[in-house]
Amino acid sequence: MNPIIKVNQVNLTYPNGYHALKDINIDLYPGHICGLIGVNGSGKSSLFKVMMGVTEPTSGQVLIQNQANKVAFKQNLITYVPQTEEVDWNFPILVKDVVMMGRYAHMGILRIPSRNDEQAVSEALEQVGMTAYKNRQIGELSGGQKKRVFVARALAQGSDIILLDEPFTGVDTNTEEALIQLFQTLINQNRLIIVSTHNLGSVPYFCDEVILIKEQIIAHGSIEQTFTEENLSKAFGSMLRHQHIVAKNIHKDQDKRSVTVITDDERPLVLYGDEDQQNIVKPESHQ
Amino acid sequence: MSSLLLEPFNYSYMANAIWVSGLVGATCAFLSAYLMLKGWSLMGDALAHSIVPGVALAYLLNLPYAIGAFFSGLLAALSMHIVKQKTQLREDAVIGLIFTTFFALGLLLISIKPTAINIQGIILGNILAISPIDRLQVIIISLISCLCLLINWKAFMLVFFDDAHAKSIGIRANALKVLFFTLLSAATVAALQTVGACLVIALLVTPGSTAYLYTDRFGILIIISVLIGTLTCVLGTYLSYFLDANPGGLIVCLQTSLFLLSLILAPKHGLLVNKRSQKKLRTI
Repeated sequence: MNPIIKVNQVNLTYPNGYHALKDINIDLYPGHICGLIGVNGSGKSSLFKVMMGVTEPTSGQVLIQNQANKVAFKQNLITYVPQTEEVDWNFPILVKDVVMMGRYAHMGILRIPSRNDEQAVSEALEQVGMTAYKNRQIGELSGGQKKRVFVARALAQGSDIILLDEPFTGVDTNTEEALIQLFQTLINQNRLIIVSTHNLGSVPYFCDEVILIKEQIIAHGSIEQTFTEENLSKAFGSMLRHQHIVAKNIHKDQDKRSVTVITDDERPLVLYGDEDQQNIVKPESHQ
Repeated sequence: MSSLLLEPFNYSYMANAIWVSGLVGATCAFLSAYLMLKGWSLMGDALAHSIVPGVALAYLLNLPYAIGAFFSGLLAALSMHIVKQKTQLREDAVIGLIFTTFFALGLLLISIKPTAINIQGIILGNILAISPIDRLQVIIISLISCLCLLINWKAFMLVFFDDAHAKSIGIRANALKVLFFTLLSAATVAALQTVGACLVIALLVTPGSTAYLYTDRFGILIIISVLIGTLTCVLGTYLSYFLDANPGGLIVCLQTSLFLLSLILAPKHGLLVNKRSQKKLRTI
């Protein structure tokens, strides 16, 4: 199977001499949710921008379904859900108009929507459960609803790859749950979702693959093998609090296993096991 | 009575001034819908002042003054854009820095080489005294600008709303931004003749801001804004005949009164409605 997106030897140096990305090589396949994890300034956003073709890499290239990403945009293969802070919520625009923007690439130069476009918009709104809000101005929505509008725009665009930048900031746990369920349906339709986040605890709950990044790729692979204390320490350095709770502090038998709680002040990551092998403890429910 | 009301139209200079200023008002109002959203409102003011050295130079070289004005306006807009991109300076600082430099350069040129420039004509403007050749310039500029805006209004909206998305679907966002600033410079030149450099900013801010109070849809905002811009300019020029007043001042006063009225009464974001909905919330 060919990777749907292939990042090949990408380097990015900004004009002021700052190295944002170094020797990035990634192959990603459809049907996965991949977490892109790192501290602020680790290159998450830069990598997104390079994948989107908004920023040109200093060297290397991004191939989407074996084509240069400039070609891929014309075919709407990839789309991006911006961070909440990046959007001007006072803009005089309704929910349905934002979703319609996802169809612009399908339209002619005057961008007059066809019946197809109208239908794609109402289907996308239906899928994220925002039909009732389609005539609202975007600033009148709650945090989670705002996110869903932009996910709907990505759906209306019909892209196979969806990039989401920090989708869970400013969103309550119920909405987070709903969004994660939505992502699951989307990957069942053989899409690829890449989510950038620094919220460690929720990663095992919705990702099946992770990329740890700090200028270069620290680790990339399945969640069980990659999301380890060692790798996280490399990616986050002193940004994390580690809390080892060893067995003798909990009970008095010969059990050598210990609990490790790793947190960056958001939802903690919990590992459990003995010295050789510690496994991720997934939260029972999100409540 | 009706013959009195129609009297201005008996003079061809009046009739021309009325419809030309309406055209200019429409163009500026179209642009104002975008400008005020981006926090770029002062850009129009800056451009109007930046035009002065171009005008002075054009007079020295015996060129049509619209050409000089246009290029110096464009140069100012581009330098603001570049300084903004290459430094961490805030927008207002950049605008202030560039436009005062250009304005100073213009004053310097005029003082060193005093020519037949009617500086008052540039700063205050007077559509009634416009020469036929200048009028033709204004008409061509306005028509071309309006046409460009009509064709691209949705693409412009996307670029202004979500730059990254626009780029990612293959819209050439940077090219569109350059086009927008070009149109802005052109419209500023046209408006210079109608209301003068000092009041251009009003035509580029007030109609859009007023329309913002009436709607949450950008397309409708543009329509309302253009209607306001056209009507106030036509009415202002028309009334100036009876009041024997400067049309520029009259036009801007009309626009501001309309804004104040809308601020109180507008059904969407007016003060009265907001107060009522707050009261409703409290009673629930």
